[in-house]
Amino acid sequence: MKMFKAMMLSTALVVTAMPSVSFAQDVTISVIKPTPRSAVFFPLVVGEALGYFEDEGITVNLLPSDTSIPYVAFVQNGQADLAMLDPNETINARLAGANINTVYEVMQNAPEGIAVLAGGDFTSMTDLVGTTVGLVSDRDRAFLQAALDISGYSIDDVQTVVLGESGPTLAAAIRDGNVSAISGSVFDWAALVANGIEIDTVTPEELLASPANTLAMNADMIEESRDAMEGFFRAWSKGMHVGATNPDAVEAMLRKAVPEEWEVEAAGMGLFQGVLPMNISTTERMGDMQADVWTSVQPRMVSSGAIAEAVDVSTFLNDTYIEAANNFDKAEVEADAAAWLAAN
Amino acid sequence: MAVQDAIPAPQAVEDTAGTVRRKRILRHAGIFLTLILMWEFGSRIGWLDPLFYPRPSNIMRSFWLIYFQNGNVWYHLYATMSLVFLGWIGGSILGIGLGSLVGFNSVLRRFLKPYVIVLEATPRIAVAPLLIAALGFGASSKIAIIVLVCFFAPFINTLSGVMNVDEDRLELFRSMRASKMQVLRKLVLPDAVPIIMAGERLALTAALSGALVAEFIQRDEGIGSLILVYTRNLNMASAFACIFTLTILGFLIFKGMEKIDFYVAFWKYEGGRERVSAKRRAAMEGPDHA
Repeated sequence: MKMFKAMMLSTALVVTAMPSVSFAQDVTISVIKPTPRSAVFFPLVVGEALGYFEDEGITVNLLPSDTSIPYVAFVQNGQADLAMLDPNETINARLAGANINTVYEVMQNAPEGIAVLAGGDFTSMTDLVGTTVGLVSDRDRAFLQAALDISGYSIDDVQTVVLGESGPTLAAAIRDGNVSAISGSVFDWAALVANGIEIDTVTPEELLASPANTLAMNADMIEESRDAMEGFFRAWSKGMHVGATNPDAVEAMLRKAVPEEWEVEAAGMGLFQGVLPMNISTTERMGDMQADVWTSVQPRMVSSGAIAEAVDVSTFLNDTYIEAANNFDKAEVEADAAAWLAAN
Repeated sequence: MAVQDAIPAPQAVEDTAGTVRRKRILRHAGIFLTLILMWEFGSRIGWLDPLFYPRPSNIMRSFWLIYFQNGNVWYHLYATMSLVFLGWIGGSILGIGLGSLVGFNSVLRRFLKPYVIVLEATPRIAVAPLLIAALGFGASSKIAIIVLVCFFAPFINTLSGVMNVDEDRLELFRSMRASKMQVLRKLVLPDAVPIIMAGERLALTAALSGALVAEFIQRDEGIGSLILVYTRNLNMASAFACIFTLTILGFLIFKGMEKIDFYVAFWKYEGGRERVSAKRRAAMEGPDHA
């Protein structure tokens, strides 16, 4: 009986001690964003596949949510450490008094665009006037507003309808002419093209250079979270670097991590090829703040009504983590990716 | 002809019933197969839009892919079903508990009933994003959505079960000086349990819908989030495989609840009392008498 009691006690001790031992050094970073693990933001998948987040002692807790969820509120009440926001959302949150800072630019070229059916009646923004334009989500209204504004029109010159992210709805709407165009992103077009629906974009050139899907956090937490955040962004940047140097490895990692996106080969490949350049920074330092671009896009946002007024970018762009995020041995990362590809 | 000859033997009755059952199953299978073949044919010759109606053969291939080749559906299935059962248990405890309290206590009924009615009139799906914002991201807010979705059927059914006790029988119980506990055990519960079980059946199937709504908003895991990925990628065959998985699950849940109802509320089924009495007698007499 004594023996039995001792065994029970030691088992209980081991079981209760195990989590504290294995997770003692881990910090969980919660990120609220629109998609679960996906090719769309492959640096995360790559960073996890190569163990970079783990090496930094970080567990990434994704909070993929519908855009009806107030992302900024999650950051403010501490339920999320980072929120993925578009520029107009960031500025509107600042105007509403939210104390948030943008700390990393995930995409430096807007993946958004205005798509029309290839070979159809609509070939320019002007052709869209007086027609119904579909929006993939309510987030895309601001982009359409800006595109119309640049072309000399306003959002009132078109009818808009939110179609949602469902592929069949988008495909049928544009193919059957229910909408003249769709304001969405490269992620939405990839599936359409893979299913034989050829599209052209009529997006004004000026809108292509714009940050998108930037990561923002509570400004009060910047110092407190420094170590964890630097580690998080370093792991993300490493994933980005693999994308720039070894796309084959990234493709293989994605096939393994998100097989559901590759069941239809053409759709998987189309999405991957579309998002690959989007996720690679054009600035010298990966994820860096493009203050001049943020400044230049604001008057357009104001005139289109996407934001009420311009905000001084120095009040919310914060590159405090960028140096640390880029501080890693690139050759080592390239070797890791090559070794992973060889082993898998 | 003797009367005995006109009455079929029990074995013959069973055989006939079996044949009728087999014929019925075959007829249903035939109709189902014909529909599937028409769907396949319609897709192949272009009558049906593949954007909305992928070929059944492709859906079968997707079943194989997601269940066996990739095996990625199992994790999501587990996540969804865990939510469904946790939410259903929570909603049932809350619904039956509150329904009983409100049913037995007229003061509580007066105060609580209007709120419950207003809450029932509120579309729960519209409240879901607010619930997530209030309770935070994760399983707790998803379960809260499911609890909210499946609370009302057990509540309303328990309430009506408790309230609709036959007045004459109640009077009879009172005249025989039955205690409150006796009234509850011998009169109220036997009358209310079948209705409560019907509410439970509705609640469990509603829980599945609630889980899907929660997963459409919080897209971290579950069949709902998988369906979103597939439809976004226009992989409709796999989306349909997931939807059919839910259909099959819903059917199994419904059938399972029917089976539970058969044992729990046995007295409302033909021969139920005799069946249970015989079992009890056999249990009391012990294995020697078996």
